[in-house]
Amino acid sequence: MSSRTMCITQEGPANALALNKDYSQVVIAGRNVFKVFSIEEDEFVENCNLRVGKNLNLNFSCNDVAWNTIEDHILATAATNGAVVLWNLNRLSRSKQEHVFMDHKRTVNKVSFHTSEPTWLISGSQDGTMKCFDLRTREATRTFYSNTESVRDVQFSPHLHHTFAAVSENGNVQLWDLRRPDRCYQQFTAHSGPIFACDWHPEVTWLATASRDKTIKVWDLAGKPSLEYTIHTIASVGHIKWRPQRKYHIASCALVVDCSINVWDVRRPYIPFAAFNEHKDVATGVAWRGDPHVFLSTSRDCTLYQHVFQDATRPASKANPQAISLNSKGDVAYACQVNMNPVRGSAKLSGILRKAPPHSEQFCQVNSVMHRFLSKNPREMRCFHECARRYILTGRPLSDICDHNAAVAKDLNRQHVSLVWSVVKTLYSSKVGDFGQQTPSGNVSREETGLGVPQTTLGTSTGAEPISTGVGGDGDQHSLLGGGGGETPGGAMSAGEDETETDETPEQHFNGRIGLGNLSIPQGDFFFGDGEMDPLSVDFDRMNNGMMGMSLSNGLLGGSHILLDAQVQQDWTLPSEAFPLRHEIQDRSPPPEQFPNHGSPDLNDHDSQAVTVEDQPSSLLNVTTVPQIGLWDPSHIMVEMLKHHASLGDVQTSASVLLALGDQRRSLTTLDEATQEQWLLGYLDTLTRYRLWDVGTQVIQLAWIPSVMQLNQQSTTVHTSCGHCSKLLQRTGWLCDRCHSSECAMCSVCHQVVRGLYAWCQGCSHGGHLAHLQEWWQVNKQCPTGCGHICEYS
Amino acid sequence: MFEAHSINTEHKDLIHDVAYDFYGLRMATCSSDQFVKVWDQDEHENWNLTATWKAHSGSVWKVTWAHPEFGQVLATCSFDRTAAVWEEIVGESPVPGERGMKHWVRRTNLVDSRTSVTDVKFAPKSLGLLLATCSADGVMRIYEAPDVMNLCQWTLQHEVSCKLPCSCLSWNHSFSRLHHPTLAVGSDDSNTGNGGKVFIYEYSENSRRWSKTETLASVTEAVHDIAFAPNLGRSFHLLAIATNNLRIASLKPLVDSTVQSGHTRFDINMVAQFEDHTSTVWRVCWNITGTILASSGDDGFVRLWKSNYLNNWKSVAVLKGDGTQAQTDSSTPAVPGPSGGVATTSQSSTTRTSEETSSKWQAPVIKGRFQKMTWLGSDPPPPPIEKNKPFKK
Repeated sequence: MSSRTMCITQEGPANALALNKDYSQVVIAGRNVFKVFSIEEDEFVENCNLRVGKNLNLNFSCNDVAWNTIEDHILATAATNGAVVLWNLNRLSRSKQEHVFMDHKRTVNKVSFHTSEPTWLISGSQDGTMKCFDLRTREATRTFYSNTESVRDVQFSPHLHHTFAAVSENGNVQLWDLRRPDRCYQQFTAHSGPIFACDWHPEVTWLATASRDKTIKVWDLAGKPSLEYTIHTIASVGHIKWRPQRKYHIASCALVVDCSINVWDVRRPYIPFAAFNEHKDVATGVAWRGDPHVFLSTSRDCTLYQHVFQDATRPASKANPQAISLNSKGDVAYACQVNMNPVRGSAKLSGILRKAPPHSEQFCQVNSVMHRFLSKNPREMRCFHECARRYILTGRPLSDICDHNAAVAKDLNRQHVSLVWSVVKTLYSSKVGDFGQQTPSGNVSREETGLGVPQTTLGTSTGAEPISTGVGGDGDQHSLLGGGGGETPGGAMSAGEDETETDETPEQHFNGRIGLGNLSIPQGDFFFGDGEMDPLSVDFDRMNNGMMGMSLSNGLLGGSHILLDAQVQQDWTLPSEAFPLRHEIQDRSPPPEQFPNHGSPDLNDHDSQAVTVEDQPSSLLNVTTVPQIGLWDPSHIMVEMLKHHASLGDVQTSASVLLALGDQRRSLTTLDEATQEQWLLGYLDTLTRYRLWDVGTQVIQLAWIPSVMQLNQQSTTVHTSCGHCSKLLQRTGWLCDRCHSSECAMCSVCHQVVRGLYAWCQGCSHGGHLAHLQEWWQVNKQCPTGCGHICEYS
Repeated sequence: MFEAHSINTEHKDLIHDVAYDFYGLRMATCSSDQFVKVWDQDEHENWNLTATWKAHSGSVWKVTWAHPEFGQVLATCSFDRTAAVWEEIVGESPVPGERGMKHWVRRTNLVDSRTSVTDVKFAPKSLGLLLATCSADGVMRIYEAPDVMNLCQWTLQHEVSCKLPCSCLSWNHSFSRLHHPTLAVGSDDSNTGNGGKVFIYEYSENSRRWSKTETLASVTEAVHDIAFAPNLGRSFHLLAIATNNLRIASLKPLVDSTVQSGHTRFDINMVAQFEDHTSTVWRVCWNITGTILASSGDDGFVRLWKSNYLNNWKSVAVLKGDGTQAQTDSSTPAVPGPSGGVATTSQSSTTRTSEETSSKWQAPVIKGRFQKMTWLGSDPPPPPIEKNKPFKK
């Protein structure tokens, strides 16, 4: 048999089609088309056009057509005018019309031949009756009254000789015995809407019904009718046809909306097993060619199609079998397809299963399991949560804030974030007095972290002597360099020292610093084991000889550490506290012109002092009065640092630092407002997800960007309610719309409406003018209303 | 570390989507059985089914939550060619003092598509109440509810044809005002000859139109899922793509290009590509900060990915997803826990075997519509086993 998708277009849409008994010919019938085609290998060949003759009356306008299952030349049509017309293809004349039964009063919806009795024809009509015709006597032998508005489909049972099923628009299915025309022997309501079609299963005692309620239902009629399967389709179902040799498969086409023809496995009633999308309009009929892989269909788009299974689309194959979702805690919800039947192929199974290709069996045995993977240690979430809660963003000096936040971050084992705060403190905290506080804390942390840091401090003292010579020698040159380069920081001094850099270290300033610090020679005196520490030792030297560069290098150090940090989190032993911070850089840079004159000699002096007298705070403090800034603006580094954190997904740090900086953030000129806004909004969004409303509100209040500041002013209404009936006070003033009084605002002493401050007892909620109440309670203890509550005024 | 629990959803067909709400405390699932179910977490972290309803007359492909600012709102899309918006409303309490009965009502049905609607997503809330859908005929549609208080009224704002059948879409959730509204659309067209399968669409305020700005030409296989990473503070965007492998693309807006064309051009780089699933990757999903990516594939594993400071993406965890062969995994067995009010215990293998032999074949079908599912053969097999690799530094 041919197996190829092919089509032929007609002058009009066909309402129905029928195949002859050996599936080699097809007849299509509609309002103005009525033809017989033979089905060739790859085309339809028109055999006969039955719509011929002088008098093309309504008898030619067909709702349905049936091909006799035994006599290959007999056709029957159901005409829209109520006629049932018999056609004989063997007639020699041009017109093949054999006989017209004019028994029905209204349109005939369906005609159907008995499967084994060639002379029995049954019809169902809009007038609510079914008629059985005997082709030998050429008359309607019996009339069956359905007691319904209209009969949409009637089909002889292939199993019970005398039984036929009829479905009607009121949703009922009736089973009739041909020999008992007085009443049906079984009737049940199958659908909530009109039933448009039914089809007997060719092998088992199932009847499928199709309805406007978008479902196809399969009923087992062996005993009492029982619903076996329900298929939910997307549109009203117009026609259905069981697929031959596939017990569970049925083809359907919709009456509206859906132009495709779907083949369903009744066991998986939600998604079509196969879909055929060739038609451009809804299909009007389906007929299998005896072969489970080939069927024909007519459509309102005027085409007749032959469909083959290999060209079908499989909607299920495109269906996503898995689902996954993450929530704010890091929990994973995951659903995936499972094989329902792990014992495939066992003897028992195959005994029950009909032999069918594995694909179709697999198709219906699907289900999903869902799992939830609880994040047992949601570190990220916990850190975020804790940081958000414990960070201080305002209300204290920046250095305090930074110290606190650094400690918080450290406490949560987020060393790199802790470091960020330290860096911020170093760069932006301008409080000289902080020095005293900071050094002890630095010591503490040094002891805590242990590893390499004590060695560093050790190095400070021991290394002092060897360096001192170097300092003496290079001091002048150094200060000259520093002086000369004062206005063009870094530029003149990047003397090819790049090899000491790590990749991420911000370029120029660092170079300049190294250029300044020629004294990096005695590296060996320090216990810096690994190469990554090299830049640190450079800084260290300079710390000894040049106060000026100290905080700079610390800042840079911090900057590079953050970057390094992700890599060597555990190894990291040098938080900024490793170096006693002698002073802070002032952000508001003093006039640079002072620098060459006064700054450098001082510096040199203190160099020697610092070397000889190691930890003399007073002399160091003197240095802070020297204006060093102008050399280098840390904002660039800051911006880089914050951006880096934001790009790592840690917008909390970026936003918090910005918030904590307060007005000093204005110096971050390279950070555009859009980015700042993005960070704040991003932080706020995350806070909202964790339902940290209070922190969110604080962020909004501290925000400096209008669009963020306004967030709290939108969609927030404060209502005042009447104290009596708790109805909202809509009007201005204190008149309640329900109580029609202002009693809720009365002073309980003077019984006047209180304007302005209303003082009340929180115990009994009575109150009034503050002065009156004060007066009252000087004398009395009980509530002025006499409610008996002993109010206490304090 | 993960602890695995199994949830008996009692969906009668494949589950196609699961979505946490904004706070991660509610969960919605949708299935081919045309039902949508909503689950709420109680104080003991158990998930309880609080609502289930037949949402569509075809497979429900996707379910998604709107920002809670707009209420408890879900959107679904289906094989039945529609997308729907649902709202949970609290009815009048029959008994005073008790919480009113909550139920979900359909607010609108979006019927513009002529074919299966394959994805639906709410826009970032800064854009208002916007909904994007895409369908198998390759049309992307943007709907807007002009009045956020009235979820019944949605106007079709834009209709853009992508030429290829669409399977998934993703909004770019960026908080930067410099980033135009951006959508990525993926196509599951399997013909590699049709070129790139991921398209970037951008909305231009000037022309008031959505237009295609980029096509990811390197992705020519069928794309099953895409997801923009939440962009809380990055200057670039990350897009995860589930195709025959897992890919992560970074899209860096080129600043100067905006001026010339009115549209952002992107510097697109594939920052990662993983073949670990060794089969089709079906889903991708980001965590809320855009730092961890989860992917799932036909190999039955969920894999979690994270990037280090150098933007190197690495696997940080592998979760065994389906239970059919959970016992093959040697790592610590998962702790089975009661979840969703449905007892799912790990069954010993002996129990399973006995049930298997006694089970005759029976379809997972239902007689009647609301009857309980019969699931012979076995319960969901023992819950999966987590396998956790510490994040390598």
